[in-house]
Amino acid sequence: MTPLEAHVQQLTRRAFLGRSTAGLGSLALGALLSPGLFGAGGPGASAWPGILQSRHHAAKIKRVIYLYQAGGPSHLETFDYKPKLAAMHGQGMPESFTRGQQIAQLQGRELKCYGPQFAFERYGKSGQEICSLFPHIGGVADDVCIIRSMYTEQINHDPAHTFMNTGSIIAGRPSMGSWLLYGLGTETEELPGFIVLMSSGKGGQMQPIAARQWHSGFLPSRFQGVKFQSIGDPVQYMQSPAGVTAGDQEQIIDVVNQLNRRQHDAVGDPEVLTRINQYEMAFRMQTSVPGLMDVGNEPARVLESYGAKPGDGSFASNCLLARRLAERGVRFIQLYHRDWDHHDDVAHVKYKAEEVDRPTAALIRDLKERGLWDETLIVWGGEFGRTPMAQGKGRDHHIKGFSIMLAGGAIKGGVTYGATDDLGYAAVDKPTSVHDLHATMLHLFGVDHTKLTYRYQGRQFRLTDVSGEVLKPILA
Amino acid sequence: MAPLFAGLRGLPAVTVGFFVAHLASTTQASTTSSMPALRFNRDIRPILSENCFQCHGPDKNHRKGDLRLDVREEALEALAWVPGDAARSDAVKRIFSDDPDEQMPPKDSHRTLSTRQKETLRRWVAEGAAYEPHWAYSAPVRPETPAAASPTASAHPIDRFVDATMARERLTAAPASDRRTLLRRLSLDLTGLPPKPEDVEAFVASRDPQAYERWVDAYLASPHYGERMAIPWLDLVRFADTVGFHNDVPIRVWPYRDYVINAFNRNLPFDQFTREQLAGDLLPGSTPEQRVGSGYNRIHRMSVEGGIQDKEYFAKYAADRVRTTATVWMGSTLACAECHDHKFDPFTLKDFYRFSALFSDLKERGAYNLTGGFTRENLTEETLLETPAQKQRVEALSAEIDRLVQKLDAVTDDTLAADRLAWEERTLAQHRAGTLAWTVQRPLTAISPLGTPLAIEAEDMSVIPGGINPVQDTYVVTVPAPLERITAVRIEVLQDARFPGDEVARAGSGFFISEIEVSGLAHPAARPVRLNLASSQASSSTESGHPARAAIDGDPETSVSFTRKRGGGIALTLATPFAGGPDARLIVRIRHSESKPYQNLGRFRVALHTLPDPDPNPDGVPAPVLAALQAAAAARTPAQTKELVTYYRTLAPALAADRAQLLAARNDRDRLIESLPSMPVSKSVEPRLTRVLPRGNWMDDSGESVEPGVPSFLRQITPADGKRVSRLDFAEWLVAPDNPLTARTFVNRLWRLYFGEGLSRTLEDLGSQGEWPTHPELLDWLAVEFRESGWNVKHLVKLIVTSDAYRRSSRGTPELEERDPQNRFLARQNRFRLEAELVRDNALAVSGLLSPRIGGPSARPYQPAGYYAPLNFPRREYTPEVGEGLYRRGVYTHWQRTLLHPSLMAFDAPSRDECTVNRSTSNTPLQALVLLNDPTYVEAARTLAERILRGGGWSFPSRVTWAFQRAVARPPAPEEVRLLRRLFDQQRARYQADPESARALLSTGARPVPADLAPAELAAWTAVARALLNLHETVTRS
Repeated sequence: MTPLEAHVQQLTRRAFLGRSTAGLGSLALGALLSPGLFGAGGPGASAWPGILQSRHHAAKIKRVIYLYQAGGPSHLETFDYKPKLAAMHGQGMPESFTRGQQIAQLQGRELKCYGPQFAFERYGKSGQEICSLFPHIGGVADDVCIIRSMYTEQINHDPAHTFMNTGSIIAGRPSMGSWLLYGLGTETEELPGFIVLMSSGKGGQMQPIAARQWHSGFLPSRFQGVKFQSIGDPVQYMQSPAGVTAGDQEQIIDVVNQLNRRQHDAVGDPEVLTRINQYEMAFRMQTSVPGLMDVGNEPARVLESYGAKPGDGSFASNCLLARRLAERGVRFIQLYHRDWDHHDDVAHVKYKAEEVDRPTAALIRDLKERGLWDETLIVWGGEFGRTPMAQGKGRDHHIKGFSIMLAGGAIKGGVTYGATDDLGYAAVDKPTSVHDLHATMLHLFGVDHTKLTYRYQGRQFRLTDVSGEVLKPILA
Repeated sequence: MAPLFAGLRGLPAVTVGFFVAHLASTTQASTTSSMPALRFNRDIRPILSENCFQCHGPDKNHRKGDLRLDVREEALEALAWVPGDAARSDAVKRIFSDDPDEQMPPKDSHRTLSTRQKETLRRWVAEGAAYEPHWAYSAPVRPETPAAASPTASAHPIDRFVDATMARERLTAAPASDRRTLLRRLSLDLTGLPPKPEDVEAFVASRDPQAYERWVDAYLASPHYGERMAIPWLDLVRFADTVGFHNDVPIRVWPYRDYVINAFNRNLPFDQFTREQLAGDLLPGSTPEQRVGSGYNRIHRMSVEGGIQDKEYFAKYAADRVRTTATVWMGSTLACAECHDHKFDPFTLKDFYRFSALFSDLKERGAYNLTGGFTRENLTEETLLETPAQKQRVEALSAEIDRLVQKLDAVTDDTLAADRLAWEERTLAQHRAGTLAWTVQRPLTAISPLGTPLAIEAEDMSVIPGGINPVQDTYVVTVPAPLERITAVRIEVLQDARFPGDEVARAGSGFFISEIEVSGLAHPAARPVRLNLASSQASSSTESGHPARAAIDGDPETSVSFTRKRGGGIALTLATPFAGGPDARLIVRIRHSESKPYQNLGRFRVALHTLPDPDPNPDGVPAPVLAALQAAAAARTPAQTKELVTYYRTLAPALAADRAQLLAARNDRDRLIESLPSMPVSKSVEPRLTRVLPRGNWMDDSGESVEPGVPSFLRQITPADGKRVSRLDFAEWLVAPDNPLTARTFVNRLWRLYFGEGLSRTLEDLGSQGEWPTHPELLDWLAVEFRESGWNVKHLVKLIVTSDAYRRSSRGTPELEERDPQNRFLARQNRFRLEAELVRDNALAVSGLLSPRIGGPSARPYQPAGYYAPLNFPRREYTPEVGEGLYRRGVYTHWQRTLLHPSLMAFDAPSRDECTVNRSTSNTPLQALVLLNDPTYVEAARTLAERILRGGGWSFPSRVTWAFQRAVARPPAPEEVRLLRRLFDQQRARYQADPESARALLSTGARPVPADLAPAELAAWTAVARALLNLHETVTRS
């Protein structure tokens, strides 16, 4: 018996209508694929409670808001100041750094140091060093932890995104949000538990993003993320057809459900009950989501603090939406902001700063004001960093060292963790892998990352593959 | 008798004789203990594999304590097991130990054995610790068919096996399914489409004992059978219409999809299907179709992302092929040996790379960006010449082109130099006089008959279309014609960032202009006169099959489009110069192609010329030529001189006749090729060196180089002539009679189509960690039957669906639920939801909208606006089909790997980035939203409503019965009629009061709204039809 089957047997022993426990294998699989069999209310309830009956240790957080800065933000113009690199600006990059290392677009070119393009300042009581383009983030410096020693394994966007989201370079593995839903379920029946939003900026290159990044891979597809559009229909097919009012739609769903209930009475297939439940949830989504996605009803003060204009589809509006989704119990909220791919001119980081600095800080403050801070983890970062070497006026992709930022009540604020070498090339102090990040995230949810597994192709897979250490020093 | 296949070197080294002997002894032992006999493969291997092999299995580099438990001899030698004496067995002691230092499995392994598992192991050692070779690694031998339990029991071989297992489990079979459900099940399973209502009625009424079999034969003969069979195969081989990585641009591979459909339809034996896909190009005298089959090797994800490296991507593609091929044909997880020896199965790291080397002769690229992208050459595209006449014609044209090129090349500049110098002088003078360059004219008006707003840009005098982009627009631009003698008109295409893709067209990546017409009028009040156009030239290279000439050929079917979509000009020469003047006007009419919906031109402007046959470039000559002309003869660089010489050759009157012939021949050839399908195929070239990559690291060159081969524990391929093992050798090995995996893997997967699960549920893994089959003898029997039937797929399908087991009711009894809740022993049929494509097909078929057309380029059904926003390089706007193309089967839906169509995705269709063996079958609110609100389903509902009104009789009950039979192949119960009646009455009243809403609902989708039916009536029936299409029963096969 797989752990999954074992778990569901136990779950159902408690909950399922006095059916004999021997009879639950097929239901186990059914439950994974369709919500509604094993919720607290028995058949008809829709929440999937998660494969983990209890957490491995006490959970610190309930959700993640992942501010994904897509394209590869330069750590040297955000969070990792390198005076030595500034001093060596224009000189040849010492070969001792680059020999035998993978290079992307700079293949075969002369490698020259390129100094940081903007000044850094110390912010807050902690005196965290942050690029002066980000004064608002500087304003919450004591609330955030900067990790300067990230590294990754993939040097091109598409595979690097895939690695950052799934912990694997092979397509078809579940993304981190899907693992969380599978393991822990969700806290809302009105909304998907894993929601993706996307915004675009100006001044860089808008690298494409594949739906693979929020896909459930080999996990059942009910655990995949749902991309909400911030402009137009928020979810595909959320709008009733033209000429059909909410009342009309409700009448039709009502008849469908009554006919389905008759079908269930005739054949006794619990899958039919699940279907009925899904129609009810679909209708609730249709009535609640458009209002939820309209930030126009937020007070002007709030809109102002984020710099959000209703309906503009900006990163600022998405940050505000993220807070609204967090309030409603969504487990994993991922905001992609594209356009950080500064090959041609890394000074364009200033445009990104205009787009993300203020809303990021506003989100942090807003969560604190609303009591959501302690139970939320914010991650801010991209799929890789950028070279200390020049590519014209820009920087190439770089995987040996880059920075991300974590924040939330469960994270020590005002801390800088790890370091790259003097030129910002390689993580040398406390090198932190993508698996470490994933392990830490799961840890905060009360999950031992080695124990949240799924059997596929004859072996137990996990988000962190075969490694991953929890970053204990940065935990509050 | 020696095992034929499993050479079993260094591995579960058990001879067949040994195996048989020990089975006998275990049977004896179990008889005495009066407990059911333990079987290694069923009872012991799963425990050892899951809990022990990770550290004590095939992976030599991670083996602990130098102990391996997967090989009996080694385990015995280490005294892990002492046969017959569990107490003295070291492993048994440690399994039962409480001492944390002794205990196995150790705590940090996160594995624990249950008391029952421990007892099972102890008993097995006590009974002699007999091993069996892994069941799937020795060739299947046809087992004896169990005797029928009674004279009335089914004689069908499948039933004999299934019945015997049911008897063992003391289960009673459910009764046969009712005939309506049965025919719907059969039709959906075999063709993916619902049965016609009249066929259901005929089948219900028939007393012919052969009726069922006749329907089986009919459905197997239907061309839709191949479409249905293609769906799981296309998942396996991860077939999609785009490259998958990064910018995910389209790639033409649909001929492979049609190859698969045809192969199933003509029942191509599976062994040949295998040869053609892996090595169709290597078959002696291979046909184009076989080479298309070999496209199997070329439809993996590919990348053109900037900054990627050849070597890395060669490694990625190679690993993908190993993963896919080993899964599809061998049900093996050889993929797990990419970085280290396999933990559970006897695959080594080296095996992985030998296997990948089987494909290292393929002509391909790693980083496509380094060599010009996805060109025909880089992709090894082959044009499929469908008839010998076409082939001859292409060859003749190619020869003609070669001859003319040689002839033109043979003319030296010496013979042209004098004329050229005169031309240089003349042209330079024209340039100085200002007549060489085109004169841009500010439009007086710019109008679209469809009402598209056309703005005139003040600064550069260009025209910019705005508003809604219609399917097929026409632009009518009137410009002043102040020049005396106008010889030519030029349309200049300008890039503009407000347009998608390459920014020259309003949708897609490029424009397709079918015709450009020019009329002249001497003064504003004069009647416009159509001007004859003599020639058309483009300054930018044109798409193959879309030459500049198409703009003036009067044929609306042909169109012009640019290859480099960066703007450029189309120059149209007037047959007779037009006499311009201060009041004269020219009207330019630009029409777009009907076959390229939405691909209307973006920003453009109009310019005029006064010299004969002007060059289409803005300066009147290409910019480098102008620069060379302006340089003094003595000061010209050799490159500039060459520029002039080369350019002049395109004008020289002496060469005009040959040039014209060459152009015509090229156009003819391009047009012919464009009209034929083509796709990337396999082509064998000098093999690339394959090395073992330590820990899978492509940058590590320290690994040994390897030759192609199959996993070392299986029989090796030894080409008679000592040559390198080819893909064809490999294909032959897969379908050799002694191959243990191929037939079992296929049969197990096929079983799933008719029962919802495989006989072993782990379809993707028949290895050590795979599930022991519920009916191992049946699986082997079917595998042998398949092979011995000549790998006859239709035979196998027919065999399965004619069994009683297949024909049983899917309804369980409380007793069955209790005894076999997962229905593993098949006392009843299973119920499962239709696959994503079939959910669509079913709704379209029920409504009568479905297009029955087989094959062809992929189709684009309705898709929510903005869904492709995350795509870039180029940006893309989705353009749905026009007309019949909107109603094609799901198998033809354009498969965008990184953003699959949201309706398909909601119903669990995979992205096809990777090989997918088993789709999940989820049940989610998003599915409800698709069926309720996707215009495809709303349009299907209103079409069904229309058909109800036209063909369903006159009374409400007769109409609703008519519709019900279409949707679920049965008449409704009175209570169901009552429920729908209430909905109908409510909705009709509501739409009678609000006819505007009725019209809005009825306008969903492209199909015209019937003018002769009362809108409120039709809208109310649409509501009823929507309810029917949303039923669980409608999307379920039971």
